[in-house]
Amino acid sequence: MSKHFLRPPAAVPEAEFLGRCIRCGKCALACPYRAIRIAGLLDGLEVMGTPIIRARQSPCYLCLKCVPGCPSGALDSRVKKREQVRMGIARINRKECLTWQGTFCRSCYDHCPLFNEAITMDSELRPVVNEKKCVGCGICEHVCPADSAAITVIPGGAG
Amino acid sequence: MKIAQLRRTVQLLSLAGMVAVPLLNSRGINAVSGSFYSVEIGRLLLTDPLIAIQPLLATMTIDATLLASALIPAGLALVLGRVFCSWVCPQNTLSELSDAVGTRLGGRRFFAPTPGPLVRYTVLAVILAITLLYGFPLASLLSAPGIISVQTARFIYEGTVGLELVLIGGIILAELFLVRRVWCNHLCPVGSMLSLFRFKKTMRVVMAEEGEHACIHCRECAKACQLGLNPMGGEIAPQCHNCGACIDACQEMTGERRPLSFRF
Repeated sequence: MSKHFLRPPAAVPEAEFLGRCIRCGKCALACPYRAIRIAGLLDGLEVMGTPIIRARQSPCYLCLKCVPGCPSGALDSRVKKREQVRMGIARINRKECLTWQGTFCRSCYDHCPLFNEAITMDSELRPVVNEKKCVGCGICEHVCPADSAAITVIPGGAG
Repeated sequence: MKIAQLRRTVQLLSLAGMVAVPLLNSRGINAVSGSFYSVEIGRLLLTDPLIAIQPLLATMTIDATLLASALIPAGLALVLGRVFCSWVCPQNTLSELSDAVGTRLGGRRFFAPTPGPLVRYTVLAVILAITLLYGFPLASLLSAPGIISVQTARFIYEGTVGLELVLIGGIILAELFLVRRVWCNHLCPVGSMLSLFRFKKTMRVVMAEEGEHACIHCRECAKACQLGLNPMGGEIAPQCHNCGACIDACQEMTGERRPLSFRF
């Protein structure tokens, strides 16, 4: 089993996605941020040619321009609002997180597009992910100042 | 005018389009977008028939929009034959070019022993069976025009290309040193799928048997064919992709007599 990648917003569940996606690359062409990359053979034969997002390098800004162009239904065109997106769920590694280790930082909290909803501050001003609201866009992972991001998106919310 | 001149023009325009689409898309101009898998022109969606049936086989659900988008390409094949292959496909353009260079340099290759369509339909059936059994769109990884166009876009967007291009390089090498034009002639699933869309009125190369147009048996047509087909030998239709090289060669030799021509 190849490892899971973050998919463009509105992607159907991974197993169905691999069968539905025709590898045409149109979603990548539509992405104004060039966040959608085409997976290569090194990423695994199964995912080769499919669109992936490497959030640490370039996250999804939830413009949803890729969704209506998908010809095969691998991206579900019923998803119209960013709140409906479920790319994955961000998870904080408290051992790496600056704030949780005592240095004040609120990069993820400040940059989250679902401001003060998907990432909130607890009573001691430490960031906490609200799994019900997080859409998995990866902007928090992109902006995290820790050496290797202390907040990462688990694709598909699968755990 | 020679068919070759017209065809070269279409081939060059196709290549130019393949580069222009990602260049324009990357600047936010999206009137035309996509690749040789599937392309959207304005609101018109066109999908390679082979690619379009994959989700149906892989997920066993019917996506009417996707299947409908394959109707125009399939209809084009039904009327004009596999002109996508010979007039548009970048792999064919590349293979044709390398074959011409190889021939000029005196390369010695042979044609596959079976000139018929048996190999191509077997390969197609195996690929589609794998898609059905494993739910995996294998043909997408084997569509040479698709790979070339997507990797061109990837290069423009990301500045890198993928190892998928190994397939393209492998095709060129195999065609140069093993079997002449083996991919387009015997293996390519895209072409095999398109060649299923034909009936007795589909455009094809026809030779006049007798009368004022009768063939003079110079064999120039067979020599001109990169696929190793012989228009003088009767039915060549399922393998022939209507490039017209034989007709040009024939006219060169026979002038106004024109034994060979495209007919419906």
